[in-house]
Amino acid sequence: MDKKINSKNLLDLFSKSGDIVQRPINIGHKGVIAYLFGVDGLMNTMMLDTTILRPISTDESLKEITNDDEVIKYLLEGGAYHAFAIEVTDFELLIRYILSGMAALVFDNAQKALIFDVRTFDKRSIQEPTDEGVMKGAKDSFIEVMRTNTVLIRRRVRSEYLIVEQLNVGKHSKTDVALMYISNIANMETVNKIRDKINNINIDNISTPAFFEEYLVENKFSIFPQIMYTQRPDRVSANLTDGRIAISVDGIPFVYVLPCQLPMLMQSPEDYANHFIIGSSLRIIRYIAMILTLFLPAFYIASTTFQNQMLPAEIALSIQKAKENVPFSSGFEVMGLLIAFEILIEAGLRLPKTVGTAMSILGGLVVGQSAVEAKFISPTVVVIVALAGIAGFILPNQDLSSGIRVSRFLLAILAAVGGFFGLAAGLIILITHLCSLDNYGVAYMSPFVDVEASNHKDTLFRFPISYFKKRSKKIAPDNQTKQGS
Amino acid sequence: MVIILKRLIYIICCLIIIPTILAACSKDFMVTEIDEINLIRVMGIDYGEEEYTVSALFTTLEGEEEITKGKGKSPYAAYEDLRLKAKKAISIGHTGYFLIGEAAASRGIDICLDFLSRDETVKMDGLFYITKNSKAADFMEEAIENEQKINEGMEVLRQKQETMLTRNDNTLVNLINEIRQTYQSVLIPYVIAEEKSFLMSGYAVFDDLKLRDYLDEETSAGVNFFKNIIRNYPIFLEDNVGLLITFSETDINSNWESDKIKINIKIDYETMIKEVNTVDNIFDIEYIESLNKKQDDYVLNLIMQAVNYSKATGLDILQIARYIENQNIREWENIKETWDTAISEIQYEFEFNSRISKSYLLGSNLQTKYPRISRLVHTI
Repeated sequence: MDKKINSKNLLDLFSKSGDIVQRPINIGHKGVIAYLFGVDGLMNTMMLDTTILRPISTDESLKEITNDDEVIKYLLEGGAYHAFAIEVTDFELLIRYILSGMAALVFDNAQKALIFDVRTFDKRSIQEPTDEGVMKGAKDSFIEVMRTNTVLIRRRVRSEYLIVEQLNVGKHSKTDVALMYISNIANMETVNKIRDKINNINIDNISTPAFFEEYLVENKFSIFPQIMYTQRPDRVSANLTDGRIAISVDGIPFVYVLPCQLPMLMQSPEDYANHFIIGSSLRIIRYIAMILTLFLPAFYIASTTFQNQMLPAEIALSIQKAKENVPFSSGFEVMGLLIAFEILIEAGLRLPKTVGTAMSILGGLVVGQSAVEAKFISPTVVVIVALAGIAGFILPNQDLSSGIRVSRFLLAILAAVGGFFGLAAGLIILITHLCSLDNYGVAYMSPFVDVEASNHKDTLFRFPISYFKKRSKKIAPDNQTKQGS
Repeated sequence: MVIILKRLIYIICCLIIIPTILAACSKDFMVTEIDEINLIRVMGIDYGEEEYTVSALFTTLEGEEEITKGKGKSPYAAYEDLRLKAKKAISIGHTGYFLIGEAAASRGIDICLDFLSRDETVKMDGLFYITKNSKAADFMEEAIENEQKINEGMEVLRQKQETMLTRNDNTLVNLINEIRQTYQSVLIPYVIAEEKSFLMSGYAVFDDLKLRDYLDEETSAGVNFFKNIIRNYPIFLEDNVGLLITFSETDINSNWESDKIKINIKIDYETMIKEVNTVDNIFDIEYIESLNKKQDDYVLNLIMQAVNYSKATGLDILQIARYIENQNIREWENIKETWDTAISEIQYEFEFNSRISKSYLLGSNLQTKYPRISRLVHTI
C-alpha cells in the first residue's frame, strides 16, 4: 500500500469506523488546513486540548505562516507544548500511530503528518503477583501494558546498556513487543536470532500467549516449556543481568525470558529471599515433588501389577487389603482417577470461585470417599493420585507442571503395559528427549549437562550469593564476570 | 522438511521399537494384580520319607497366619506342588525368612538354595536359619499352636541379630558366595523355639555343604570376632562386673613362616561397664587395668574355643582359607588340596588392643580422664 498522506485517503480508510475522530483545523486562518485524526477513547482529550489544540489556535506566530511545511517545522520546534512530537511521511506508519492511540495532524498540501503521543486507556494497576508471590521480596508484578512492564524493568536496571527494542507483531493486531537485553552482557547472536524470529511472525493477531510463544520455541513438539514466563520484574532483571533476553508483549501480563533451561523453571523467587540452606532445601523438595508427581502413579501400577516384590512386604500387604474386592486393575484405577483429577482441575478453573470450592469438596471428598466405600477404587490409589497431584502443584512453573502431567499419563500407560520395563523405557525416552532439546544454543538440561563448575552453583542447591562470580559461558560469552572486576 | 521427516522417523521408530521390546519381554511378565497373590512370608524346607516338603506361611488379610505345604522329589518340585495347592498365585518376592529343617540341611544346603537362587523375584536379603533338632514345618506349626506370630517372631529375631552383629551373613546372596568358596565351612545360624519366642544361639556348621554340627553360643561368638561382625557383646567377669563390647574391629593377616602358616589376628575393641556388683572400688586405675586384662582373657577364651574347634574338626569355620588364598597365593596352591589337615597345623598369634572407654558413673573419682589401653599378645 503506497498511499500518500492526505485526509482523503484517511477518511476513505476509516469511513466505516465510528471510533475514529477526525476534525479539520484552520491554522492561522491563512489557508493552512490540518486534519486531526485519532481513536476516540485511546487519546487523552484534555492533554490534546491543552498541549496541541490550544497553542495552535492561540499562537500569534502561526498567523504569519502560510505554508504547511513551515507550520510543521514551527510546531516541531516548540509551537506545540508536547514532548513526543514527530513528523511522519509514511502512510503505513501514520496508520499504525493513529491506531495505537496517538493524535495525528495531517497536512494535505505537504503530504505529511505530525504525531503527538497523547495515549491513554484504562489499565489494571500494578498488583501483587498471583502466581509467584513471596513472603520476603518485592510485591509488584507485570500488567497487560507493555510500556508499564518496560518501566518496571528499567526502574530496576538503570544501566545505559539496557536496550529496549520496540517491535511490532500481528498483521491486524499490530501488537507492540519489547525486546530487552543488556547489550554488553547478552549474546548478540541470540538477540539477533530472537529478533529475526519475532519479525518473521506472520499472523493476524496475538490473542493468547501461545500465539507468540510457539513461534519462539525451538522444538514445537515438546510438551516441556522452552520459554520461561514470569510476573515478577525482579526476576526479569536478574535474568537480564545474567545475560538472558526478556520479551514483553502488549496485552500479556507477564514477561518472557530466553534462553530457558529446565533448572530455571524449578527455581522460585523464594529461594533467593531466604538463607541459602533454606532456599536449597525448598528447591530439593521441589525436585522430589517433581519425581513424585511424575513417577508415583506409574510406580504404583508397575509394582502392584508386575513386580510386586519391589514393595516392602508390609506395604504390599496393606495394599492387598485396601484393594480387596475392588473390581478394576491397578492400571485402570490409577488412570481413571488421574483423568477424574484432571476433570476436577478443569471444572475448578471454569467455575466461579465460590462454586469451585463447593465443587472441589463435592468432587474430591464426597465422590472420592463414596467411590472408595463402594469399592470402585482402593483408598491407596486415592492417596497415590492425590499425592502425585498435589506434588505437581508445588512446581513453580505451571507450563512445566502441565508438561509433567502429560508425561505422567504416558509413563502410567507404559507401566501398565510393561511394568518396570515399560517405566524404564519411558524414563529413557523422557531423559533422551530432554537432553536433545536445545534452546538458542544452550542445552535445555544445562547446567546439569555442563562441565562448567561455576554453572552448578545455582541448580539443585543454591550456593551463597557471593559464590555467583561467573555467568554462563553459553549465555553470556563475552562478559562472564558477575562479581568483582 | 528434512527436520520434519527426521522427527517423523524418530517417532515411528519409538512407536515400533518400544512395543516390540515390551512384547518380546512379555513372556517374562507376570501380569498379576497384587490382591490376587498370596505373599509367602516365611518358607520352610524339609526332607523326610525320600521327598522334600516346602511349607509356606501366608498372612491372611485378617492378619492370621496359615501354612500350606507342597511335596516333591526336589525342593523345586515341592515348590511347584505348593503352587498348585495354594488358594491363589504365590510369590516369594516378600519372603523374608527361610527355615531349613535339620534333615534337609543334612542332605545338602546347596540343594535347598538352588531353586531359590535362580528365582528373579526372591529377596536377596532374605535370611536363612536352620531349625535345630526339628523340621521347619513342625517348627512353624508348633509356633502357630502356641499362638505365636511366626513372621513377627522372626522379625524380632532379626532385630536381635542386628543389635549384636554389624551385618547378617545368613542372607541368600552371602550364602551363595560361601557355598562357592569350597574350602571354608558354610555357617548358618540355627533357631530354637522357646515358649513364646524364638532363640538364635549359634551357628550350624556345614561340612561339604552338609550339616555337620551346631556350635555353642560362646564358640559362635568367637567366630563372630573372626568375621569382624561384632557390634555389641556382653562380657561377664568373675568379679561381678558386667561389660558390653561397643566397638570391635578385627584385622587378619596370613604369613608363611618356616613352611608353616601363621595367622596374625589383631582385635581392637572397646567396652563399657554395664554392671558392678562388688564392694571393691573399681574406679581405680589399677582396678580398671586389671579389668582390661580380664576382659582380654575372656575374649581370648571365646576365640580359642572357635580355634580349637576348627583345629579339632579340620573345618574352616574361621574362614581362614580366603585370607591365605589372597595373601599367600603361591603357598596356597601347594596346600589347598590338603587344606583339611593343614588347618590343624596353623599357628595363630593374637594381639588385643582393648580399653574400657566409657563406664564410670557420674562423680567417679578415677584419677585420669584418659582410658587405659591394654595390650595382650598371645600365640598358639
